[in-house]
Amino acid sequence: MPVLIVKFEGSVLKKVATNGGSITIGRGPDNSIAIDNLAVSNRHAEIKSEQGGLVVEDLNSLNGTFVNNQRVKRSALKHGDVVSIGKHSIQVDESAHGESPDIHRPAANTKGTPRVDETLVLDTEKRRKMMQDMAAAGERSQITPSRIRVATLVRVKGQIDQAEYQLTGKLTVIGNSEMATIRLRGWFKPKMAAQINRRDDGYYLGRGDKVPTINGNPIGAPALLSDGDLIVVCGVQLRFAIKE
Amino acid sequence: MNGKQIHLAVAACTDKGRVRPINEDSYRISVDQNLFVLSDGMGGAAKGEVASAMAVEAVDRSLRENGADGFPKLFTSYAESSNGTDSLVRAIEMANREIHEHGMRDPGCRGMGSTIVAARICGTRLSLAHVGDSRAYLFRADVLQQLTSDHSLVAEQVRHGLMSHQQAAASELQSLLTRALGTEESVSVDADEIELFPGDSLLLCSDGLTRMVPEDEIAAILTQISSVRIAAERLVSRANECGGQDNITVIVVRLNKPRSWFAKFIPWCSSNLV
Repeated sequence: MPVLIVKFEGSVLKKVATNGGSITIGRGPDNSIAIDNLAVSNRHAEIKSEQGGLVVEDLNSLNGTFVNNQRVKRSALKHGDVVSIGKHSIQVDESAHGESPDIHRPAANTKGTPRVDETLVLDTEKRRKMMQDMAAAGERSQITPSRIRVATLVRVKGQIDQAEYQLTGKLTVIGNSEMATIRLRGWFKPKMAAQINRRDDGYYLGRGDKVPTINGNPIGAPALLSDGDLIVVCGVQLRFAIKE
Repeated sequence: MNGKQIHLAVAACTDKGRVRPINEDSYRISVDQNLFVLSDGMGGAAKGEVASAMAVEAVDRSLRENGADGFPKLFTSYAESSNGTDSLVRAIEMANREIHEHGMRDPGCRGMGSTIVAARICGTRLSLAHVGDSRAYLFRADVLQQLTSDHSLVAEQVRHGLMSHQQAAASELQSLLTRALGTEESVSVDADEIELFPGDSLLLCSDGLTRMVPEDEIAAILTQISSVRIAAERLVSRANECGGQDNITVIVVRLNKPRSWFAKFIPWCSSNLV
């Protein structure tokens, strides 16, 4: 059976055996070849065996599937052909008969194939290019591209020092500590009643000395906040707002 | 110096893991400065271990030389003074220049680089600065919170809402950094400051830990093991059990909780006078 060699910028990422079944390629993790590049659609293309040969079919992807640099809807594949999907390429290798690496096994386990596990740093030029591509792909894809968004907490009720807070820090403390971002007034208020952690994918509310509630529900583990959520802690009510 | 008011317990552990031939990570615990630095060298042939050793050494030395100016003065309020954090950033910029220049001079070290994450505790304030994908976590109220944002391509994609955390964790491109120390003439350093509370722990680690051990497991280890030394060793051995694909280094710092309300009262009075 032919082997598909998946490459990115000249480095071999993995080898995938064709076992007669269908091999799907896309950004989603459930694909046989999952490519997390933004130029790749969720279900981008499929490679299958038909009448003893391999065929690639584009599954109405946004940015297209290319065979030897020609955009195709469907095309038969032969030894040496290169299927390009975004910046990744998949080379058809029919010379590797008998060898059938596991579909999901990374290439590190396959003898002699280099892999991107050595840490590399992108130089300024390359980085700018990739970020541009990323932004461009983001604008075209269905996922909402967001600039890094800054959330706001608006006072609804309670004794605190400001009417509104921008959550610019990595960690926002609600408490009566001098250094708390949101300072609770009152002698017996805890130094750190609750905390909000800004992570890559959003803002999480976690407990401190008190268990805060979101929309009336006490939180257990840190909870991801959504626009409009009402936070209550130590008698203070705050509205969480996050906008583009 | 400033460490007397709060009681810090610190331990570090490093291991080359099960795959790499050498350990390219370096770390430095500078007790008198309450300074903790960790660096992950990169570029195997290009002497990553030299870069990471230079990085931790340069940061430690530069802060020591700048001495007292770096520390907030007596009675300055939290809002007014960020000197500690600024000096940390300057020390990292200095380290960047040193590594870069060394790489230019010595052909065997051309292109070497490293990540860095540095933390300094001053009174109850934590100053944090980093470049690359080595991380700092705050472990508070049994919750592990990442305080640094990785300078990697996949992390940038997550921040732009283009990829989920799960996809990023499974990505084959995790090793592509968008920033590193020493690879270019200048570097942009991320810095942050937060207030620490008794009972908090700080974890600095190289990606050899975080790529192998899921965060909830790291949190469980920090919850279950009170000794910082045993916790640090356990984190490293767990990363090895999970594959040990890369060098693993951790520094665990714990701010001990005073025993009684009375004991609590005294150190907190003095810590406010830093």
